[in-house]
Amino acid sequence: MSPGSFEERRGSEWVELERLISSVEKGKPEEGVDELPRRFREACSDLALARHRMYSGHLIERLNSLVIRGYKLLYRSRRSGWEAVMRFVVAGFPQAVRKEWRLFWLCSALFWLPFFALLASAWWDIDWIRASLGPQEMAAMEQMYGGQEEQLSHLRSEHGSNFMMFGFYIRNNVGIDFQIFAGGIAACLGTIFFLVYNGIHIGAAAGYVHYACNPQSFWTFVAGHSSFELLGMVVAGMAGMRLGLGILKPGRLPRGRAIAEAGKSALPLLYGAGTMTALAAVVEGFWSAQPIPAEVKYGAGATLWVLHIVYFLWMGRGRRAA
Amino acid sequence: MEDTVSRIDTLQAIELAEGVEVRLRIAGPLPRGMALGIDMLIQGVILVVVTIVLAISGIGLGWNVASGLIMLAWFFMSWWFPVFFEAGKRGATPGKRSMGLRVVQTSGAPITFGQAVVRNFLRVVDGMPMIPWLPIPTMGFGLAACLATKRFQRLGDLAAGTVVIYDKVAAEPAVPAPPPMDAARPLVVLRPEEVQAVVAFRERAGLWSEGRRAEIADHARELTGDHGAAGVSRIMAMAHWLQEKR
Repeated sequence: MSPGSFEERRGSEWVELERLISSVEKGKPEEGVDELPRRFREACSDLALARHRMYSGHLIERLNSLVIRGYKLLYRSRRSGWEAVMRFVVAGFPQAVRKEWRLFWLCSALFWLPFFALLASAWWDIDWIRASLGPQEMAAMEQMYGGQEEQLSHLRSEHGSNFMMFGFYIRNNVGIDFQIFAGGIAACLGTIFFLVYNGIHIGAAAGYVHYACNPQSFWTFVAGHSSFELLGMVVAGMAGMRLGLGILKPGRLPRGRAIAEAGKSALPLLYGAGTMTALAAVVEGFWSAQPIPAEVKYGAGATLWVLHIVYFLWMGRGRRAA
Repeated sequence: MEDTVSRIDTLQAIELAEGVEVRLRIAGPLPRGMALGIDMLIQGVILVVVTIVLAISGIGLGWNVASGLIMLAWFFMSWWFPVFFEAGKRGATPGKRSMGLRVVQTSGAPITFGQAVVRNFLRVVDGMPMIPWLPIPTMGFGLAACLATKRFQRLGDLAAGTVVIYDKVAAEPAVPAPPPMDAARPLVVLRPEEVQAVVAFRERAGLWSEGRRAEIADHARELTGDHGAAGVSRIMAMAHWLQEKR
């Protein structure tokens, strides 16, 4: 069969397919759209034939782009609705964290060991804290936590300053989580760096407060949002490590595939970490600096830690979740 | 020969479940860099406008509320702006769209929301190293990864399993070739890629001048056994035979 007669015999089919594809692409399916999958498969075999018989480049190019367009329509993924989000919250996220329990302990250690080391140096050798905070930050710490507990809520008494701090925490803290994740692609090095860095920094801040400021005003401030924020950071670290391990430990897959698979399995952890840190920003913006008795704040903070442990240990287990 | 072609060419053959191969044209670092520049410009303009509008409305809202909103705008603009567009129907940020590019899975299918998240969050790493003292990414890592991989994938693309392709390849200009005088059977059995070359010669001949045709046909003197205009008409005749008479 010559290319001319091939085109003559099949041309009208392609025009029809193109009409259907364009209508669906515009979001206004026309009549006969249920024929699209069949016509698409026919165009596929036409393309294979045309290529095998080495018909002209224009003909092949035309069929090629037609098939690509049809493929994009037929194989697009369906957006998951609110049901999937709810499912993720009550089961998927804690399951994902439990599945990576080794990474959880590794990332926790990467954060908490430097934290406690620097906190302890408030009593052993203050120079470590001085060196890691620097003069400007030490002055800022004294300004925030230097006086009585009322000082903090006084700083926030201006209209709208709670909301401003909420915006700041979203941008800064959630952004840090995303960076911790992204750093994992450098064979985990970025993730390790950010976790240790944050451990040192936060530990030094906590230590300095004990050395030079009023510890009560610091701990009452952080109690409320600490569980969300610190666990969120650890989970972001797990996501980054999962990604980096795709490079370091590809297993039986070729490395390129292993990275892509690792990216996929890191996603639930990333979503969860971002959500937790956003919640932390809500608490930190609107609750942590309020003039509330210290016992209430400590109580709320401890309750939230217990709730987190319960959530991660027991949610999404059992037959209903599976 | 086939090997070098596949190594040089940016056409990526992908086999679909239907058993047919489609060819995607992968976009290189230059158009992607230009798309990135356009996106950064758009993001910058939006941020400046939002900041000015919020700063003015800050008179009514209170300055603190306004600056909180500005920081939220920064957050969404820097992390979620490209995700929003690439996970959408067109699969491309405004910059990519204007360059005629699109992000797809390595299988050629449209990307999922999760893939858009992974490839865009990793942009911070691809942007390394930063220009010293300035918050401007050099995209050095991304460029290095692009040049080191066969499909021009930056690190974010590798982790998400995506590629950037030309969405619509402009059709080659078609000029009708001179009508064939006769059909001639080639004297030797041609390999498939040689058949393709002969047929392509006929398709494109209309674009070339007389002298250029002869110049190209002279390279195939072994096949035609002639040179100059005679060689050209020999090839045309063979192409005619290959396409119509076989």
